Amino acid sequence: MNRVSRRSLLAAAALAPVLAACGGREDKPQAPADGVPRGDLSVWLHQTRAYDAVFTPLVEKYTREFREVGVKPLFIPVAQLDTKLLTAFTGGSPPDVFRVGGWTIPGHARKGRLAPADQSLSSGFDKTAVDSLTYEGKAYGVPTDYTLCYLYYRRDRFAEAGLDPDKPPTTWEEVADYSKRLTSADGKKVGLQWILGNPQWTVMQLLALVKGKGGTILSPDGSRATMATDAGVEALRFYAGLGNAKLSNPLSAFGLFASGEAAMIVSGLFAMDLLPTLDKKLEFGKVYDIAPMPRFDAGPAVVPAYTWGWAVAEKSEIPHTAWHFIDYLQRPDVAAEQLRDAGSLTPITGWEKLEGADQKAIEIMAASAPDADFGPRTPVWAEMAKALTDAGDAVAHGKKTPEQAAQDFDQAMRLAL
Amino acid sequence: MTTVQLRIGRPATLSGQGQRRAEGRAGGLLALPAAIYFGVFWLLPFLSAAYLSFTRYDLAGMPEWVGLDNYRKMAEDPGFWNSAQVTLVYTAGSVIPSIVLALAIAVPLARPGRLNGVLRGLMMIPAVMPLVATSVVWRIIYADGGPANAVLGVAGFGPVSWLTDDGIALWALVIMVTWKHLGLFVIILTAGLQGLPPSVYEAAALDGAGPVRAFFSITLPLLRRTLLFVLVIAVVGSMQAFIPAFLLTGGGPAGATEVLPYYMWSNAFGFERMGYASAMAMVLLAVLVVLSLVQFRFLRGGGDD
Amino acid sequence: MTRVLLCLVVAVMLLPVGVMAVVASAPEGGGAEFSLFANIAEMFAGGDFPVYFRNSLILSFGIGLLDVLFAGASGYALARLRFRGKKVLFVLVVGTLALSPTVVMVPVYVIVHQLGWIDTYQGMIVPSMISAFGVFLVRQFALGLPEELLLAARVDGAGEVRIFATIAVPLLRPALLTLFLLQFLTQWDNLLWPLLVANDPALWPLPVGISQLQTEIGYDIRLMTTAALVTAVPPIVLMFFLQRYYVAGLTLGGVKK
Repeated sequence: MNRVSRRSLLAAAALAPVLAACGGREDKPQAPADGVPRGDLSVWLHQTRAYDAVFTPLVEKYTREFREVGVKPLFIPVAQLDTKLLTAFTGGSPPDVFRVGGWTIPGHARKGRLAPADQSLSSGFDKTAVDSLTYEGKAYGVPTDYTLCYLYYRRDRFAEAGLDPDKPPTTWEEVADYSKRLTSADGKKVGLQWILGNPQWTVMQLLALVKGKGGTILSPDGSRATMATDAGVEALRFYAGLGNAKLSNPLSAFGLFASGEAAMIVSGLFAMDLLPTLDKKLEFGKVYDIAPMPRFDAGPAVVPAYTWGWAVAEKSEIPHTAWHFIDYLQRPDVAAEQLRDAGSLTPITGWEKLEGADQKAIEIMAASAPDADFGPRTPVWAEMAKALTDAGDAVAHGKKTPEQAAQDFDQAMRLAL
Repeated sequence: MTTVQLRIGRPATLSGQGQRRAEGRAGGLLALPAAIYFGVFWLLPFLSAAYLSFTRYDLAGMPEWVGLDNYRKMAEDPGFWNSAQVTLVYTAGSVIPSIVLALAIAVPLARPGRLNGVLRGLMMIPAVMPLVATSVVWRIIYADGGPANAVLGVAGFGPVSWLTDDGIALWALVIMVTWKHLGLFVIILTAGLQGLPPSVYEAAALDGAGPVRAFFSITLPLLRRTLLFVLVIAVVGSMQAFIPAFLLTGGGPAGATEVLPYYMWSNAFGFERMGYASAMAMVLLAVLVVLSLVQFRFLRGGGDD
Repeated sequence: MTRVLLCLVVAVMLLPVGVMAVVASAPEGGGAEFSLFANIAEMFAGGDFPVYFRNSLILSFGIGLLDVLFAGASGYALARLRFRGKKVLFVLVVGTLALSPTVVMVPVYVIVHQLGWIDTYQGMIVPSMISAFGVFLVRQFALGLPEELLLAARVDGAGEVRIFATIAVPLLRPALLTLFLLQFLTQWDNLLWPLLVANDPALWPLPVGISQLQTEIGYDIRLMTTAALVTAVPPIVLMFFLQRYYVAGLTLGGVKK
């Protein structure tokens, strides 16, 4: 063996682990002629105890009804879901069906990992939710576990501070004002506490403020960052002005709210069920309550929203079966049961009329729905969210001025976009 | 002192062709499984990573050759420089105190005795607790009204925001990993100390050397191979550690605990920039190899390899 | 005096374990009653934890033993034998130590996938079965073996492999035991790789099982600490069991010398 061929052999060996996964499928699998779904489906989703209770019996029912289908669900902790999915995609062995955050869909779709959703399937859902799962005009998933943000507040803390627990703040100016009255002299008890250090929540919190001031995080076409504007800087300044970044709790702001140190937080529907598990004294309507997302005086209403989605891998050998199964999971009667038992809202058309365990939450959501905002949809969402978290945390900790943080964010995004 | 003859540590040599051939055969045989293993599971992936460091690869499709772009990007990326600096402080802050402490504990603890055996065992308990779960406990310890502040209070200091003060969070991390690793270092050093021939101590005692002098002039030089091992492992380990930051602080607050391996991880699996992450890994690899060589040179005495 | 200090150090180190025990003893939703056993029962209730325990034992013992065998052999060879490729192997080992696991994860995953080892025990075991750390550890200890013993055996005409097995291994016992213990612990604590490779919950080890206690906003603190406390028991038992052999290794070295 001469030197050259030995070297090229080495290069080929080095590339093998990378290239093995490449190469698409030549022929698209066809739907079976008889329309009967069959095959073994691998289904990956993150674990939530509440959803489990609905999902597991549903899978059993499905496989009883469609005997030629086997369903293998795999629950993955939410913190590791993306890593596991990415590794599997890259290694060429993704699951057929998986549940992902809507915000990751553009990234996956751009890389050709997802099969476009059946037109007939995605038509039965709330349009804004479906829009959030759309990339370049195609829907790549059907929405599940949809939520809009609420203002959560502690009635007991309000009463203590001489505020009327039945009159929660409706504007951000009021939130700031109430927060002052709710903050103790030593700063250990605060009014509104942001969820800091968490990319997803940072995006939602800052989205409300930036848009409320009339600005945007990214330009509408997603080509550049626009935080270094009056609206962006003002939003960051407001962000830094509320709460105490140094308060610490093993469960971040959720824990601080449960202990009463924080009197207000911004959160989604899922917290309704979650909070009482943190402390059994937390009784909805008595100790804590919810209100619609505040807006700035004279500013537009902005209600941050997100949805998870069911998606099918481009590489799946049985996409027909995969969509069939998803369709089954998303039926209106299941959606009703899911909302009642698991507090998880499937945004089917007409979801506003579903009955929830706590009707107030559904009513507020229905009223806020026209102002729902899913935030910037970009294939580099993770990078944007991280850069925004760095900016928000830096001003909250007083490490940077809002102007500086906004500029740094725009600069970081120039590299990423 | 000089009467003590030390004849350990030289490779056993027996001259002659036959012996060489025997050693060659046996060495090849004993080392073969490891050679195959490291070739398949480390060399091959390493070559891929080295190749990827010259490409843009977003974990889909084909890697795209970009030459030195990734390395150039590193130079102007504030995220990289911040994390490099954090890693440096974190490594120095966790390696030096934990080795000094481990040595101070291992010397008395290496002596035989029932109590010492039990204490050695107890010291290892933090090391055997799963990190996923211990990080939860440390979050409780570091919470505002938590035990860490209670201890400070007893000592007369005010409460501290352990995990949410950007000047302190890194040290909170250092305390946790020192707690976690101290037992390991102690047990490795103990094994090294127990391998030392007792006769040298007896000889030193006859020479009239006190315990402190005996430690510096006999124990420490004899222990240098073990010490080198612990040092290399500790430096490499803390420069590659990202799980503690991942679990305890998520890199925050405001990037204060964003160690380089965590930044690499975010780039690889968060932002799907595997090419850039690989380039950072190559730089880290180069730094670690150089550091290890320096440590080898520094700690290698007379005749060993 | 030294004893008192040592006891004090150990007491400080065990404080967090005490905190853990207190947290693990709290009842669901807060309160004062002692509920450690109720929490343990709740943890085991699903019937999954015994499976995770079994898998963790398989992985930890399997990888620990393989590592002792192979890293022991190659570490000794690197220290005491002259053979072709010795320098290359040593560079490979040190290089491996210095290479970030993050960037090799995807290539290793692809190799495991190519081998058809996704969702198998070998997929979890083989990629971790020899540690560079272990080779390095054994090499450092083997460099310190008294040469007279090896020489004497050679003069007696014993083969090199036999010298390794009958003379070096007993002398290296403290190092090999340390390696076993450390590798056992590493695997006992290994979350990421098994999570990536094992899709079948019947193959999951404890860390993967425990990580299921994460929730949308963090984790279930009470069950997580309970799990931590319970899963720490086997390694602790193992460690106290191995203690006896540490002392044996010591006296052996003393007598022979």
